[in-house]
Amino acid sequence: VKLSRRSFVTAGAAGALALLASPRMAAARGLLTEPRLDDLLKRALAAATKAGASYADVRVVRLRRESVATREDRVERVAASEDYGVGVRVIAGGAWGFSATPSVTAADAERAARGAVAIARANAALMKRPVVLAPVPAHVDVWQTALIKDPFKLPLEDKAELLLAINREAMKVPGVKFATASYSAISEWKLLASTDGAYLEQEIVRLGPGYSVTAVDDRRGEFESCEHPLPPRQAGWEYIEAAPLVADARQIAEHAVEKLRAPSVAAGKKDLILEPSNLWLTIHESIGHPTELDRAMGYEANFAGTSFATPDQRGKLRVGAPILTFYADKTTPGGLATCGYDDDGVATQRWNLVERGVFVGYQTTREQAGWIGEPASRGTCYAEGHAGFPFQRMPNVSLAPGAKERSLDDLIAATDDGVVVAGRGSWSIDHQRLNFQFGGQTFWEVKRGKKTRMLRDVAYQANTIEFWTSCDAIGGPQSWWLGGTLSDGKGEPPQSNSVSHGCPPARFKQVNILNTNRRTA
Amino acid sequence: MRTASEARGLIDRVLTLVRATRGADAVVELRGAREGNTRFAVNEITSSSEIERLSIGLTVQFGLRSASATTNQRDDRSLEELVGRTIRMARLAPENPEQLPPLGAQRYLVSKDPVDLATAQLTPAARAGAVGAAITAADAAKVAIAGFVSHGHHATALGSTAGLVAYHAWTACGMSCTARTPDGTGSGWAGAGSNRMADLDAGALARTAVAKATSSARPRKLDPGRYTVILEPAAVTSLLGFFVQSLGARRADEGRSFFARRRPGEQLFPATITLRSDPTDGALAAAPFDREGTPLAPTRWIDKGKLTALTYPRYWAKHQGKPVTGEPTGWTLEGGAATREALIQGVKRGVLITRLWYLRMLDPQAILVTGLTRDGVYLIEDGAIVHPVNNFRFNDSPVQMLARCDGLGATAIPSGGEGGGSRVPILRSHDFHLASISEAV
Repeated sequence: VKLSRRSFVTAGAAGALALLASPRMAAARGLLTEPRLDDLLKRALAAATKAGASYADVRVVRLRRESVATREDRVERVAASEDYGVGVRVIAGGAWGFSATPSVTAADAERAARGAVAIARANAALMKRPVVLAPVPAHVDVWQTALIKDPFKLPLEDKAELLLAINREAMKVPGVKFATASYSAISEWKLLASTDGAYLEQEIVRLGPGYSVTAVDDRRGEFESCEHPLPPRQAGWEYIEAAPLVADARQIAEHAVEKLRAPSVAAGKKDLILEPSNLWLTIHESIGHPTELDRAMGYEANFAGTSFATPDQRGKLRVGAPILTFYADKTTPGGLATCGYDDDGVATQRWNLVERGVFVGYQTTREQAGWIGEPASRGTCYAEGHAGFPFQRMPNVSLAPGAKERSLDDLIAATDDGVVVAGRGSWSIDHQRLNFQFGGQTFWEVKRGKKTRMLRDVAYQANTIEFWTSCDAIGGPQSWWLGGTLSDGKGEPPQSNSVSHGCPPARFKQVNILNTNRRTA
Repeated sequence: MRTASEARGLIDRVLTLVRATRGADAVVELRGAREGNTRFAVNEITSSSEIERLSIGLTVQFGLRSASATTNQRDDRSLEELVGRTIRMARLAPENPEQLPPLGAQRYLVSKDPVDLATAQLTPAARAGAVGAAITAADAAKVAIAGFVSHGHHATALGSTAGLVAYHAWTACGMSCTARTPDGTGSGWAGAGSNRMADLDAGALARTAVAKATSSARPRKLDPGRYTVILEPAAVTSLLGFFVQSLGARRADEGRSFFARRRPGEQLFPATITLRSDPTDGALAAAPFDREGTPLAPTRWIDKGKLTALTYPRYWAKHQGKPVTGEPTGWTLEGGAATREALIQGVKRGVLITRLWYLRMLDPQAILVTGLTRDGVYLIEDGAIVHPVNNFRFNDSPVQMLARCDGLGATAIPSGGEGGGSRVPILRSHDFHLASISEAV
């Protein structure tokens, strides 16, 4: 098999990658260094075909995880894990079947392939419409995260020391009683081969720091916490090194103390300014999930729910103000869902979901493209590890910035009476993605164009379409910021997906602000 | 990993490798499973999987330094790598003053029939049969149905350099389904869990979901407000989970939990409320020990309305001079004698809620939780269900749910939503805060 390299990096990281490409690829376990796996893939595909599969794909996946967790002046946990195995997915008799094993041998992969076909055959009689896959070019390629420092190769002590330094800095602030800081990294290495000719090796490295500071008022028996907003990214350790984690610790701690003393918000309708550190999750929940085609078609009805964005509404339904364009993009540099190819073997791409306020597009897989008459998949198939059944998962979904340069401060200066929300708090949305209620980490009152004081107990509650329709101002290109999560759940049994969301700050007119204080209840 | 002796053999291979390093204490935790599942939606099967799982976890300690690593590979080279990596990490890890030495030999209670062989050996065809029964019920009523059937044969085992030996195997299964009317205005759910597939009646579950879908169609608008509610078991279990998770003594002692100001002995609820855990309860996939190997004992956490205990893991128990409780398993909120009909008949004006969704903590100091109703909400007037109503977002607390409870019915083990795995009753409560309307169906 001849391998080619697909260009995927932005100009900034290209030089660093070029330097590292040779040694990293030599170190990669896969097509280049293990002919045994090449044999396993071929034999598993052959076994599936021989057993009667009309389509089969085989994934060999190695997930490595590393984490360090600290609390105040001590390290609570240092942990690493490695999960390796083979998953075989087939279509036989028009039905899907899937089987997975941690035993990475050709014999067990063949056994899994035959087992998957037997499962599909057991289900075939209940199929009313056989599964049909949209065509895809047969890609043969290698793709990997652009990084300079592989986090798995760096000493644990350095990581622990950084976290303890954060806690030390936070604990210096009077009133702070608890501080936790943690770090985790995940390396996802996978080979994918299919009977449609895919032959792909990818390695994706994701990492994320996190810390939380808690202030306690013993006299009143109350406590408040603040978290650092630095999001997880697809990146190397250099991302953590460049972040002002220790430098920010004192301010985060001071915010926790200030929050404890802050007045409780007065409930009512106010203008709402959401910083990107809060808005990314609102986009995830209210735009990302509703535009998953399987949800919209009822495939997730028993668990995650359905969607207000039904196929008959495509191209017609106005979900927000004309200043809003949301796009899906599995090529966003640093994005947690970014990769070269999805788990159907489809090359990744960018496309619009909402264009100037109108719902126009869905996230699809090869199975789903035909459901809405599209000729090809958008490339959003993903499985967690080797043991997850590959299905539709969210790509990076982002809000495009406004054309005109406009900052958060500009939005505040133009607001007479409002609340600014930053950071991720409690979040909840209904099963058709309409009624939502979100909190945050810090809340600030705005009066006559100025941030006046911190508030507490704030949540905003709205209907998705009314909320996005009330958006009257967004920040410009310089204010755009990429948030995200390492753990977005979907499916039964639940699988986790990592996904990023970029956005500028935005202002919403007259949103319902709730007071969540029930301490006296 | 299918037998205790196979698990013991694997643990001994790891511990033998660890013992070659002077001064290293270690605990090995094995987890293994064979799982099968079938998903269905729009009245056909959408995916079906069979999966073998294995996890070999090792924690190595050098005094107060410790680290953990996990692999799912059992060959000699992988185990040598696991032990070598964990020892290197543990030597480099900073000291943790809370680190305790591994547990030695323990005595555990014996579970009641945790393994059902028929469930362990369930075939894809048997799963397809259950799905077929659900689809038949939905086709007959001309509604769409989606759902999930799953089963697993699980085992967990522990061993330590100090002589700990623990093994527990169990089966678990569940089925849930959601039916929706073609006009998109009605949705109904049913789900149940057990450790015996024979306990689950796929056709009956589907018929319940279908009946709820048709009876909840074309809901009328009901204003938000505080209502008397009948919460079916699926709703109770998801809300109760937040209460159970808040029972930790450490956060209470540190002043950052609801229990910081409410201590054992305090009467929190009516005398009808008893919340207990039973680690021998086979139907709940309960285990007789926790992940540290701490023996678990049947415990009443709320006894006739009175808070009787908080949970103490090993370190905090030692720190506070309290008995170790471990992390309890096998939760039951005891039910009562009232039938569903009797609970409804006692309502002048209220709302019946099938299940809750997307629950999130708003304020841990009050265990205030937000979330939504879904899949069957009905107005009750003068002791009878009168018509379906819209869904709501609620902002309320399991504490208030229990404090205002004045009626308990039969228990069930809901499966397939948020929470689950506990035995809880249908119950009636009052002044439940349905805070805003959700247009979702």
